[in-house]
Amino acid sequence: MPKLTFRGGVRLKGYKELSANVPIVFHQAKGELVFPLNQHVGKPAIPIVKRGEAVLAGQIIAKADGFESANIITSGSGKVKAIESRMTSAGVMAPCIVIDNDGQYNLAPGVGEPCDYTKLTNEEIVAKVQAAGVVGLGGAATPTHIKLCPEQPEEIDHLIANGAECEPYITCDDRLMQEQPGWIVSGLKVLMQMFPAADAVIAIQDDKPAAIAAMQKAIEGERKMSVMVLKTKYPQGSERNLVHAVTRRKMTSGDTPANLGCIVNNVTTLAAIYHAVCLNEPLMEKGFTVTGDAVAEPHNFLVKIGTSCSEILEAAGGLKAEPKKVLIGGPMTGMAITDLDIPIAKSYNALVCMTNDPVEDCEIKETACIRCGRCVRACPVGLVPQMMAQAATAKEYERYVKLHGLDCIGCGCCAYICPAKRPLTQMFKQTKPIVLDLQRQGKL
Amino acid sequence: MEKLLNVSSSPHQREPYLSTGHAMYDVVLALMPVTLFGIWHFGFHAFMILAVSVLTAVMTEFIFDYITHRENTVKDGSAVVTGLMLGLCLSPTVPLYIPYLGSLFAILFVKCVFGGLGQNFMNPALAGRCFLLISFSTVMSDFGIDGVSSATPLAVLANGGTVNITEMFLGFTDGTIGVSCAAMLVGAVYLLIVGGITWHIPGSYLLSFVIFMGLFGGQGFDPLFLLAELCGGGLMFGALFMATDPVTSPITSRGQIYYGVVLGLLTAIFRTYGSSTESVSYAIILGNLVVPLIDRISIPKPFGVGDNAKKPKPKIPKAAVALTVITLLAGLALGGVNAMTADTIEQQAIAANAAAYAEVVPLAEEFGYDDAISANVEEFAEDVYGRGTYGNVYINDVVVGTDASGNVVGYGINVTTADGFDGNITMTVGIDTDGTILGIAFTELNETAGMGMRVDEDSFKEQFVGVQVESFTLNKSGGSTADDEIDSVSGASTTSGAVVNAVNAAIDFYANYIQ
Repeated sequence: MPKLTFRGGVRLKGYKELSANVPIVFHQAKGELVFPLNQHVGKPAIPIVKRGEAVLAGQIIAKADGFESANIITSGSGKVKAIESRMTSAGVMAPCIVIDNDGQYNLAPGVGEPCDYTKLTNEEIVAKVQAAGVVGLGGAATPTHIKLCPEQPEEIDHLIANGAECEPYITCDDRLMQEQPGWIVSGLKVLMQMFPAADAVIAIQDDKPAAIAAMQKAIEGERKMSVMVLKTKYPQGSERNLVHAVTRRKMTSGDTPANLGCIVNNVTTLAAIYHAVCLNEPLMEKGFTVTGDAVAEPHNFLVKIGTSCSEILEAAGGLKAEPKKVLIGGPMTGMAITDLDIPIAKSYNALVCMTNDPVEDCEIKETACIRCGRCVRACPVGLVPQMMAQAATAKEYERYVKLHGLDCIGCGCCAYICPAKRPLTQMFKQTKPIVLDLQRQGKL
Repeated sequence: MEKLLNVSSSPHQREPYLSTGHAMYDVVLALMPVTLFGIWHFGFHAFMILAVSVLTAVMTEFIFDYITHRENTVKDGSAVVTGLMLGLCLSPTVPLYIPYLGSLFAILFVKCVFGGLGQNFMNPALAGRCFLLISFSTVMSDFGIDGVSSATPLAVLANGGTVNITEMFLGFTDGTIGVSCAAMLVGAVYLLIVGGITWHIPGSYLLSFVIFMGLFGGQGFDPLFLLAELCGGGLMFGALFMATDPVTSPITSRGQIYYGVVLGLLTAIFRTYGSSTESVSYAIILGNLVVPLIDRISIPKPFGVGDNAKKPKPKIPKAAVALTVITLLAGLALGGVNAMTADTIEQQAIAANAAAYAEVVPLAEEFGYDDAISANVEEFAEDVYGRGTYGNVYINDVVVGTDASGNVVGYGINVTTADGFDGNITMTVGIDTDGTILGIAFTELNETAGMGMRVDEDSFKEQFVGVQVESFTLNKSGGSTADDEIDSVSGASTTSGAVVNAVNAAIDFYANYIQ
């Protein structure tokens, strides 16, 4: 079968060998657990516990504020130590619930009780996913129950499990597919019951042959399920490019996958759906890769949400060299953090500690644009970054819009490939909010 | 951790090998096969030309940066590329001040003053070459080796000769230093592989050139003709290396295809109707000027837009419609005016000639046509008269002069020769009934002032008058005594020779078809 792919994009050095062969280690945090109230797209959750209150693992501690929000669930048991502002990965203080972890991990009543999903209605399944606080765990953090309620459910014909994991360094999805393919297949089965007209597709990049083999084995004998092999290219896992690769349908920036008959979920999210629906386990733990050349023993963990990054780094043997840059997430879209005392939120999937900073090296080497066109060829959504950068620098926002600058997905391909080392993606990330703001004010 | 961590916006990874300098040295590397071939084929002087060109380019940029307190940009390698490209498109015989001046112009006036790398709106190397072509046209168009001037393959082709395609392709002919198409292709393949160029510009350029040349080149889709046109005149070098200069070419692949077609069309027009050797240079320079426009109209739609929805009616910009209408109207108006005045124009031409006829057949009261003679004129109308014996001479018109009583007193023969130093010379030759030359008068003469133009002086023209011979010969050294010898105007032997040939043709026509 020909390998599926899309136009544009870049080939990246993966650095996945650092942690790809390390099996997942289950890590139970010993220190305090911190839960920011805004771990998802939408409104922040509202705390429903008080300081000093005793909580059990799996208990809801903050309630979703409306449909476009998600519950926050404590992953450990203990007492509520504080509800206060703490540093988060974005570099800003945000309100968090801090749990003084007693290390017992006593489960709340009902958690872990098996449940036969075939007896549930669609509404009941959505309610369970919603209660479990499941959000897109690939990084987008969209509350999953929103995705499960498309406007025209009968139009859905593809359920795509996103196992592309195209970001360099990160290997936790790869390991999950190899070690727990059953979780993913079960999660997909739940969705297939909800959308009987749909085929399930597990899309995996060809740099993960072991995961491909494991998933193929896991779906043996299953009807309407298949594994599709994708070419290794960044950003293969981006929703628009993934939907195109699998179905040849093209999403515009205004489309959701549901418009085109697709529901796309990360493989880890599918595992979380399985746990929420079939085992009554809310989202308490997730796959997390600790890697980078500054880390002593790169690891893949199944980590309790709320664990501090510094604790999980210690669990990976600590640092073997002074890092210059530490990232939450991969190097293409991840965030650089200033402080390791940051709690692991639902959508975080990696901690990357690098001894050198390619960006710092490039700031010295930035040269004039020679219009070589590599950024145009690399853009996975067909934009012209070179002209957009001109408009952004000149603050010509009207022109920026005409150049379709608002379609930018911020994948980083243009900045990565630029021989002149110009910070293209960064310019667009700065310009986009300004333009949107001007549009809201009716000035553009 | 004692030190603070670096913080920046994503992406945090960069292509580790690629840089502007790297991209430039890729181009230099790609140019190496053709450079080495050129030096091997043409010898040490070719090497000197390239060395002067490259060194001047680099030094000019270095000094400019130093004087204007700019960051030194020499090490990005773009000056080396410009210098090398300029050198490669020079004749291997040019004196060394040519590459020096060309490089200086290219770097200083085309690149540096416009803001340096990435800001120039024309390809510096080509602009330098065009500057040289205009300023030193004689030196620049001499492609001979060892002082023996010879025609380039395209010049041979233009004159109806045949060329050896294999030799042209490999580069064993006269031409610029960068003459080997084979070596260029090797370099271009390398650039394609490393991503320095894409197929869009060379592909659309060469393809559209072949199509236009086949349609308008006058020899149809004759593969030998097309191959020779492809391999000659620097087209390959232009298409593979000059037109693909990223700074001065469109940035989107669609724009690049438009650009290639523009270049192909321009080159074919210049080749067919203009000068063959410089067609590529001027086509690309003109193409460079429309790049901002192409960029403007070739902004691609973002991914997915218009693919799922119904296709909206293509909107044709109002300005384009208005321009088309205006152009059509103007064209029709001009055509109409031409049609209405065509007769007048013809009469004016006869009137202009009439004055000349009256001058060369002074005894005639009236001029008319003899049907038999006119039939003979008609017969030779399209062809060179005398199969080249007299050069490229055409008999245009013959009138019969009669006196008041109707007796024939002489004939006026209007002749054009294409062998003038600067184009056509048209003249009338008056011959009386026994074959004696009555006089000559020019009706079209665009020769060099003070040299060729002096054929219109009486001292030259009167040498013919009153002589009755079978043909005249040109005496370049002057001081002739014999009747049939004509003293050349000093320093204008080409013009003088063309005139003598034209007169001889008129005598021959008189002897064979009038008498």
